[in-house]
Amino acid sequence: MLALLVFLPIIAFIAILLGAPARLTAIGASAVNLALGLFAAITWHNAGLWSFSIPVLEKPALNLAFGFADGMSAIMVLLSVIVTLAAVLSGKAPEGKEKLYFASSLLISAGAIGAFAATDLFFFYAFHELALVPTFLMIGMLGRGDRRAAAWKITIYLGLGSIVLLAGLVWLANLTGTYNMVEMVKGAEKVDPAAQKSIAALLVVGFGTLVSLFPFHSWAAPAYASAPAPVAMLHAGVLKKFGLYGLLRIAIPLVPEGLHYWLTPLLVLLLGNILWVGWVTISQKRLDLMLGNSSVMHMGYIFLAIAALIAFPENPLARSAAIVLMFAHGISIALLFGLTDRIERNTGTLDLQDLGGLAKSAPGLAFLFGIAAMASIGLPGLANFSGEVLVFLSAFKSYNGTHGLGPVQIACIFSIWGVVISAVYMLRAYRNIFQGPSVKATATAADLTCADRIPALLLILALFAVGLYPNLLLNLL
Amino acid sequence: MASLNDYLLVSGLLFAIGLAGVVMRRNIIIVFMCLELMLSAANLTLVAFSRFNPTPNGLPDYNGQMLVFFVITVAAAEVAVGLAIIVALYRARQTIHTDELTSLKG
Amino acid sequence: MNLAWILLFLPLVIAAANQLVLKKTGLAPIVSVASALATFVIAVLLLGEEKTAWFSWATIGDFSIDIGIKLDRLSTGMMIVVTGVGLLVHIFSLAYMKADEAKARYFTGLSLFMFSMTGIVLANNFIMTFIFWELVGLSSYLLIGHWYQKDSAADAAKKAFLCNRVGDFGFMVGILMLWGITGALSFDQMKGGLEAFQHANAPIAVGVLSAAILCVFCGAVGKSAQLPLHVWLPDAMEGPTPVSALIHAATMVAAGVYMLFRVQLSLGFENFEALPASTVIAWTGGLTSLAAALMATQQDDIKRILAYSTLSQLGYMVMAVGLVDGEAGMFHLFTHAWFKALLFLGSGALIYACHHEQDIWKMGGLLKKMPITGITFAIGTAALIAVPYVTSGFYSKEEILTAAYTHNKVLFGIAVVVAFLTTFYMTRAYVVTFLGKTRSENADHAHEVGPLMWIPLVLLAAMAIGSAWLTGPLNAIDPRIHAPEHAEGHLVILSCSIAALVLGLFTGFVLYNGKEKDPLSIPLFRNRFYVDGFYDNFLVRYFQDAFAAIIAFFDEFIINGLIVGGFSRAAESTGNIFRKVQSGSLQGYAFVFGIGVILVVYFTTF
Repeated sequence: MLALLVFLPIIAFIAILLGAPARLTAIGASAVNLALGLFAAITWHNAGLWSFSIPVLEKPALNLAFGFADGMSAIMVLLSVIVTLAAVLSGKAPEGKEKLYFASSLLISAGAIGAFAATDLFFFYAFHELALVPTFLMIGMLGRGDRRAAAWKITIYLGLGSIVLLAGLVWLANLTGTYNMVEMVKGAEKVDPAAQKSIAALLVVGFGTLVSLFPFHSWAAPAYASAPAPVAMLHAGVLKKFGLYGLLRIAIPLVPEGLHYWLTPLLVLLLGNILWVGWVTISQKRLDLMLGNSSVMHMGYIFLAIAALIAFPENPLARSAAIVLMFAHGISIALLFGLTDRIERNTGTLDLQDLGGLAKSAPGLAFLFGIAAMASIGLPGLANFSGEVLVFLSAFKSYNGTHGLGPVQIACIFSIWGVVISAVYMLRAYRNIFQGPSVKATATAADLTCADRIPALLLILALFAVGLYPNLLLNLL
Repeated sequence: MASLNDYLLVSGLLFAIGLAGVVMRRNIIIVFMCLELMLSAANLTLVAFSRFNPTPNGLPDYNGQMLVFFVITVAAAEVAVGLAIIVALYRARQTIHTDELTSLKG
Repeated sequence: MNLAWILLFLPLVIAAANQLVLKKTGLAPIVSVASALATFVIAVLLLGEEKTAWFSWATIGDFSIDIGIKLDRLSTGMMIVVTGVGLLVHIFSLAYMKADEAKARYFTGLSLFMFSMTGIVLANNFIMTFIFWELVGLSSYLLIGHWYQKDSAADAAKKAFLCNRVGDFGFMVGILMLWGITGALSFDQMKGGLEAFQHANAPIAVGVLSAAILCVFCGAVGKSAQLPLHVWLPDAMEGPTPVSALIHAATMVAAGVYMLFRVQLSLGFENFEALPASTVIAWTGGLTSLAAALMATQQDDIKRILAYSTLSQLGYMVMAVGLVDGEAGMFHLFTHAWFKALLFLGSGALIYACHHEQDIWKMGGLLKKMPITGITFAIGTAALIAVPYVTSGFYSKEEILTAAYTHNKVLFGIAVVVAFLTTFYMTRAYVVTFLGKTRSENADHAHEVGPLMWIPLVLLAAMAIGSAWLTGPLNAIDPRIHAPEHAEGHLVILSCSIAALVLGLFTGFVLYNGKEKDPLSIPLFRNRFYVDGFYDNFLVRYFQDAFAAIIAFFDEFIINGLIVGGFSRAAESTGNIFRKVQSGSLQGYAFVFGIGVILVVYFTTF
């Protein structure tokens, strides 16, 4: 079953290259995968159903192995399949490029699912790299605006980040003597404290670059602004979570003391994400750049949960909080990028100055975008709020009033200001695009058709489900 | 009878001439011929060593001579491919002068 | 208990149904009104119940965030206000919004608001309060921005949301700190946790608790529009008038007071009293009431006058809570909700009759043309200015004055001045609007509104007079129950308030009767102490935007340009050096290769 989940997109990818109808194949494969992913999320406990292993090398023992080590993998896979279906449904390929467009989207999806389901360190890393290649290609070949520069930038940043990460991972694998991630965690005591510090630094910088941790963030906004919609949705929504997933899966169990050593710098950097990038976001004049920066900013909250977990390893809340927020952010940012693409297709511009009053001519779009914006602001009832409030609670879990505020709590208080910042830029954008009198670009803009709404509704359903009753997700853990 | 050193000297001279030709000549066909010259030098060395390093039963070490046959065969194939490339190159660029073939310049 | 859950979730279901199914059918308004009626009936049925029930909303290990309902005197009494005023506003809206093309969206917003407000009132823990706190912010945003094509409405909606968000920042921090201190999110367990904390950390308890309470108070400052976040409420009058009556006068803005009182109740009055935080709260309320009353004296838009009056009355309530006499505050909240809703709906009727004219100087003489509206408006005014013994406003204001008199004489002085100013500006508004002769064409054509509008007015007018006597049956908080009939200083307080009333009526009447335009002009008050301008121009434009632009500049040029760009340039120039080697000359390569071979042979052999 799990092999099917991972390889179905690859099979569809090959089928498309061999000449199958691109869009239909992609949608079909993603829909089947969504069903499989939902099933997986509910029944991931059943290791017999959801594990798969083929030996690849005898020595060192290397297996092409997949399985759900815990609910986190299952939830991330679920996130991947949901976003994938939405992405292929809402994407519109340029004339004659359908093959490349949909095949690449599927390959990104396969890489993400493979990375989240892999239990072997080598394939965990390799599948992520597999997904990056089509990402770069799509931005470079089918992007808009200054796509070449953006593609170069993301390639170099993520390439370098991956290399730093690889160094850390190989070091860890050598110390623990295995590539099997479950075994690695069991052998955590083999990682001596002296090495922990350096490995932790490598992992934080490596994974951090992939997640656009401040100050390694400047690839994100231009890349997302230039990327075709499915790529922006899949990368910002799913693939970017790989770094956070890696920190939670590998770094925290294996190098806790090393991470603790870097806690204060990490807190400063995550505040850089939330406040610094937050203000950068406020000053953006284009919607796509604004959203790109906002996705960088929101990573700060997940890092805050990770920091809370580092500071207080018995913290029961932090890990769950991080996972819920990863899921929520993935869905909401994918929704925003998908709808942004619609705005551009229907009005021809994303410049906030040139838009206004779009709610009059496209009420459906305005409604859906409004939900997405409110989710991103962290409004209760939508998934992001559940994640954020759990993150804040987890940061204060170790606070008992007697010792005053610790560094994590102080960082948390500053982070909460980010909630105000995101409201400022989101509402400003919504105000400029949808409200006020109609202008030239929007007066005759088309609204969404029913078919156009399906991907958005799919994502919104997920947002509401987790937002109204987060136990749905928490029970899967 | 010539000693091993004489053979090696000739072989060294042949190799030096070949290398000098490769480095100095501009016509790519000559360069190619000089390459063959260098291969011959290597062959000569192999045969010489084979002749002057008898096995315990008094016969020459035929391993070296075997290798020479391989080299000759591969060289023949190489000539075929190489000349074909040169012809193709001439068709494309109307020249076989190495000074004018510098598209690899960074 | 099931009834309470229905009370909470029915409006949500209705809102969802309206948006998803009924939008195009035209049934949405009727369905919403029916739901409001149903919730009112349920609220009445629930009177006197004292129970809690909850389910787990988010569970992680043994930690759990609950969605819970806490029924007690405070919450059931408040539900009567919310559903009662809500129902009348729904009915009024049927007529007021008759011609609006986005009726369904409007009623969806109203239902969503009813759901959120019910949630705040019934919440049994802080996280739930916060959840619904944000949701009322959303419904307020949606309803203020109902006419989103008007720039002013869209801006006002945004401003309201952002001001609330600033307050919520503090609120969230306060919730987290209180959680850390007491170890409890639920209101019921808070007191126990607090006492354990005080026992363990006596020296720092007052300071830490004060800080936490002040942070929580930030939330109330945002929602109840106290200084310095008061700027959004007058702008919120861009929304449809029934919305102003329900959300921005009677219920939502009072949620801050309600929440503070709930906290006070949960932590215990005696724990609250010793805190310096309570002094800060009292002064914030007092200063807000004074500043808002001063600003109200110079406004020309009838809704803005009422908005500033709301601010001022909210200041009273917050002051009472700060003086650790939250019961007086809640009592005033209860009476104020009815008569302020009445005044707003009355102004809505005026605006409707005068074809969306809001300037009082363009009205005039409307008492004769619209007698029902005129008389009910007069009753509302009388309640607001606290005409002794016959209006409900008198009793609740008296309680607040008593609280101020007992605890802080300076604040008492301020409260009396505010009472005078209230009478003055309401007299001004009434005289200019209803007496004299009409001063515009729109007002000339005005005539009495239909029964769907005047029936709610009449009912509210009855409540404006009677609510002070109905606190018993309606379960509202009433400090008079256990207070002595004539407390110390009773006569001083009574004479002060009557003097303020008479003086206000007299000056207002003399100054404004029969005038064509405002004889007074005080630019400082008219321009709202220039606070709005300061925020817009300084804080938003120069501070926030300029700051953001500077950060963006640094991001682009330092991080992206210098550091990252520096690395890339360094790599490029190193590459340029080695590029020279790549000559493209075949012989050059062969030569180097030869040299290399020779060197290798040399080093391996010799």
